[in-house]
Amino acid sequence: MPNKQSIQTLIIVIATMLYTNGISHAEGLPPLTHKLTKINKSIMAPALRLKNMDGEIVDIKDLQGKVVVVNFWATWCPPCRREMGSLERLRLATKDENVVILAVNIGEDIDTVFPFMGTVDPSPSFTVLFDPDADSMKRWNVNGLPTTYIIKPDGTVAYSAVGGREFDHPDIQQKTINLGR
Amino acid sequence: MKKVMIAAAISFYSLSCFADISQTPQVNPVTGAATWAINEHGVNFSLTQILPQQAQAFYVNRGFTLKQIESYASSCVYMAVLRNDNAPGTIHFIRKNWSVLVDGKSLHLLSVDDWLQRLTETNIKKSALIAFRWAQFPSEQKYEPGGDWNQGMLSVGLPAGSVFNLIARWDIDGKPYETKLQEVYCAK
Repeated sequence: MPNKQSIQTLIIVIATMLYTNGISHAEGLPPLTHKLTKINKSIMAPALRLKNMDGEIVDIKDLQGKVVVVNFWATWCPPCRREMGSLERLRLATKDENVVILAVNIGEDIDTVFPFMGTVDPSPSFTVLFDPDADSMKRWNVNGLPTTYIIKPDGTVAYSAVGGREFDHPDIQQKTINLGR
Repeated sequence: MKKVMIAAAISFYSLSCFADISQTPQVNPVTGAATWAINEHGVNFSLTQILPQQAQAFYVNRGFTLKQIESYASSCVYMAVLRNDNAPGTIHFIRKNWSVLVDGKSLHLLSVDDWLQRLTETNIKKSALIAFRWAQFPSEQKYEPGGDWNQGMLSVGLPAGSVFNLIARWDIDGKPYETKLQEVYCAK
């Protein structure tokens, strides 16, 4: 006779499967686009100083002179997961350019993020930063995940994108590369 | 003649700014989840129910106990998607201006802060609260044309079995719009 706890566990397992199916369905809707919003005002990128997967501090101030793609995400966020592979393809397409990608994880730790990275195709080799307290969200005016900003070499914000995108689309690749030339 | 023109202008404005279109929910054949959706003025808005067990599973995996998330999971939670495909300008909304019509009464949705306040009282770990906060549909947001969008959880705060209309409001470059998802059902 199964006890109450094992029944609850079974319910959670089944519900997780159903929820994952639901997410898969949701992932077909709506389609991702490749539109970036150009920021016409001259706004300096806010501060961003966080630890990477190796526990080393990365400070966006030290990346002046480069194009920096800053992507805010979490493993439980369906559109974040959906765009993650395209972000790596953007990195591969711009590896010989003056471009750095920073994927800022919100509220999770390496034990959660590392296994997830193994499920992404192609496997991400860009820099993942950890914001365990979600402190950067307000500074960067992020109201929902994912949100992405592309920063010019002079440190000002060039483009924003709210919601998932196809970062490997030629339009985004070209816009990103052009900022660094 | 002037009165007729004014009346016609008001009628046109009302029609253009208030959608009251008959809606049939789409049902996912795999999950059985129903989606209520509307697409107008280049804006796509939809609600898909997240069943209580699904919401529980999601949050238990983020560090909640079943007991801690029970009241939220059973409050009729939906996955809301709002997307600016090709509206004539920037969409801006403040979620506290949205409401639910049920049995002839208009009710405001509980805000994310309201939920966080309730959950904080039950001694939940910080990382779980952060996941809760950011998994919710935004309290306020702007979407530029061309595909800015979010999806997030939205609790309407009703008991299972409820049927309601959701009135969502936003402005497009300052011009107010209101749309209604009709006869949305909250399954048990």
